[in-house]
Amino acid sequence: MNRPPQSPLVTPAGPSACHWSRFKFPDSLIRYASWISVLVFLTYTVEYLDIPLDRLLGMFGRMGTTLSTRYYPPDIGYTLDVGYLSYVVDTIHMAFLGAIFGLIASIPLAWFGSFNMSPSRRWLYPIARLITMSCRAVHEMIWAILFVAILGFGMLPGVLALTFFCTGFAGKLFAEEIEAIDVGPVEAMRASGANQLQVMAFGVFPQVRVAFTGIAIYTWDVAFRAATVVGFFGAGGMGWYLKRNILQVETERVAAILLSIIILVLISEIASAWARAKVMKMN
Amino acid sequence: MSSETTAQKRAPRLTVDDVLNHRRRAGWSRRVLYVFLLAAMAWSLNVTVIQDTDWARMGSLGNVLGAAGRFAGIDFALFPTLIAPMLETFMIACLGTLVGVIICIPAAWFGAQNVTPFKPITYPLARLAMTLSRSIHEIVWALFFVSAVGLGALAGVLALAVRSVGFIAKMSAEAIEDIDPGPVEAIRATGGNAFQVMLYGVLPQVLPQILSVIVFEWEINIRRSAVLGLVGAGGLGLVFFRQMNTFNYHGVTSVIIAILLLISAGELVSYYARKAVI
Amino acid sequence: MAMPLLPDRPGGGNVLPRLAGTSRSDIVAWKDAGMAILEVRNLRARYTVSGPEILKGISFNVEADDFFAIIGPSGAGKSTLIRCINRLVEPTAGEILFFDREITKLPRRELRLLRRDIGMIFQEFNLIDRMSVMDNVLSGRLGYTGTLRSLFRLFPREDIQRALELLDRVGLIDHVDKRADALSGGQRQRVGIARALMQDPKLLLVDEPTSALDPKISREVMALIKQMANEFKVPCLCNIHDVQLAMEFCNKTIGLQDGIKMFDGPTETMNKGNLEKIYAMEVL
Repeated sequence: MNRPPQSPLVTPAGPSACHWSRFKFPDSLIRYASWISVLVFLTYTVEYLDIPLDRLLGMFGRMGTTLSTRYYPPDIGYTLDVGYLSYVVDTIHMAFLGAIFGLIASIPLAWFGSFNMSPSRRWLYPIARLITMSCRAVHEMIWAILFVAILGFGMLPGVLALTFFCTGFAGKLFAEEIEAIDVGPVEAMRASGANQLQVMAFGVFPQVRVAFTGIAIYTWDVAFRAATVVGFFGAGGMGWYLKRNILQVETERVAAILLSIIILVLISEIASAWARAKVMKMN
Repeated sequence: MSSETTAQKRAPRLTVDDVLNHRRRAGWSRRVLYVFLLAAMAWSLNVTVIQDTDWARMGSLGNVLGAAGRFAGIDFALFPTLIAPMLETFMIACLGTLVGVIICIPAAWFGAQNVTPFKPITYPLARLAMTLSRSIHEIVWALFFVSAVGLGALAGVLALAVRSVGFIAKMSAEAIEDIDPGPVEAIRATGGNAFQVMLYGVLPQVLPQILSVIVFEWEINIRRSAVLGLVGAGGLGLVFFRQMNTFNYHGVTSVIIAILLLISAGELVSYYARKAVI
Repeated sequence: MAMPLLPDRPGGGNVLPRLAGTSRSDIVAWKDAGMAILEVRNLRARYTVSGPEILKGISFNVEADDFFAIIGPSGAGKSTLIRCINRLVEPTAGEILFFDREITKLPRRELRLLRRDIGMIFQEFNLIDRMSVMDNVLSGRLGYTGTLRSLFRLFPREDIQRALELLDRVGLIDHVDKRADALSGGQRQRVGIARALMQDPKLLLVDEPTSALDPKISREVMALIKQMANEFKVPCLCNIHDVQLAMEFCNKTIGLQDGIKMFDGPTETMNKGNLEKIYAMEVL
């Protein structure tokens, strides 16, 4: 590297040969120790999970050939079949119902589970939080499998699974939104002698209405994304088609189904982004 | 009397009816929307729940409750065997997030309007990749990678990595778009190259936000990795699947409890970690 | 034209372009020869193709021991002018000669080498808030530091030594490891000054160094810049909105109004008439 000489500093009594290092002693030790432990953990993880690092690059090459020989060309005609399309419509129905039921369930849960507005901080708040959290923590696939085990195959377990999922998803976002409101109008309402429900309806709801609408649209979006796959375990919708074709190793059909899922989800995402932008503008 | 007439002249007074009519008109479009939503709901209910459900096979409410009751109970004997899959799930989540973060670096760089190297091409490309990654469910990604690299943890890691890119990159790109351009200008003025401008001008400004997003996504990835085993990508999902197939319903409950424990731990860590970085 | 005999002078018949920019000895040679270090000729700039022209043909010379003030009402193009010189803003027409070398058409890599020869001090300090004072000062050295070294912040020992000495000179030796956003405005600008000097600049561009500071601190900061410029023998080009400060600290002044140069000369020759012309309608 070409380093031209620097101009000398005309320092009368500078701290000559002052030793400076970025990290002083205890800091530096902690820093190095934590970096080393992270590295050790990562190495151990790769070892434990038996990830073939040496074959990793070759794997991507093989992935390419697999994709191009077995999954290409996707059997587009198969996805345009009436039977498949009716499953797509079913999926939309399921997602819609799941989102609506979930939203309906999550509004009271969000009210009870928001720290500032909860009618009873001692009882309702922890219970509502617990319900929301467990709905969220359990993955929608697990909900789907459980409901299939209880109710048998069909769309009802799918709808229920999506409902639980959406309750957890929207409940948390709604509660956060309520916790972020301006308490001024709420106090005004309370001062005018309104009861809890009236405070909610006139003091809180107008403040969060637009945000709630945005979250509701987003919930629909997420629900649809999940609905495309809950059928994989027998809970209705197009996921069932996916499973059947995977089991039958109809790879070109699988490719077509995956493609159709991607396209549908993209359409729903674009539509929901548009709707959310519109709602925000109305504010 | 005269005072009343002057008041009427000064401003046309609103009557109660005016107010009500105005409200009625304002609510009209909203009411159409509600009616439409209700109709769609009724239709969906009819299609999915009423027609599709085999009510006879499901039997009475008692039968359903009985079926649900099978899950009431915990198979404590299973817990010792769950530790290894729990660890595996946790590790898949960590590695998946890490690989995702690495893929995110170019994605966020290309996807932020103010730093993207060649806007007409790289910006839409990055945005497309982000949308694609976020749009596709992790199960679909896992299926894809299982068929590409075979059964095992690697497929799970890759699925999580690809699935997390969208969210992390989108939030990072938004953070980068919001930076103060001053330090960037200062680093450019010292003669730093493009990489140094990113490293000194941009990164320090956005690092806390990005770290917080990464921790958040890591927490979600724990939840996701717990189900990837259902399609053959290792971890707790595989045990869940096995318990289900052997009709050991108490074991299923045990697995769910293990998942909840893991997720709660992750949530706790994530909460404090995000507090620490911000 | 009598030119100093410098074997490696840019554009002086050498086949290979010189990458290392300008060396310190050039300033002395240029000064001895009585030549301008920076010559700006008929400079024009606009931000968008159809937008208004911000600079409408500006010409001036900066010599080795000049401390130039650029004054003018806000919106006159002072900031744009400064930024054209290290090409943070690309001029649309005209020439800029830095050590007799035309720089408006330099390719990217050469531009970086040019920029590391030109230090810059900013109005809003433009420090990296979350880094320590030390790292901020060291970042002035990035133009000289390799990419890999800068990734791990492994600056050479002599850079760290220089940074410590500079921090001592600007009076911040006790704040070396503090985060930049923990400092007061005046201290932050001192960090900015140290960062600019860290580059070992051959020209200092100063963009409204005091308008984010209160009057007392402003005077201190101006005095420090002036003193450092003298000590390091760096010519300075300083945007300043405060005419009082300009008269006090600068030996030459350029008056800009609406992208046109209204005055250029030693500060002491500037009179009320000139000022009225520069600030046309504005009440002084």
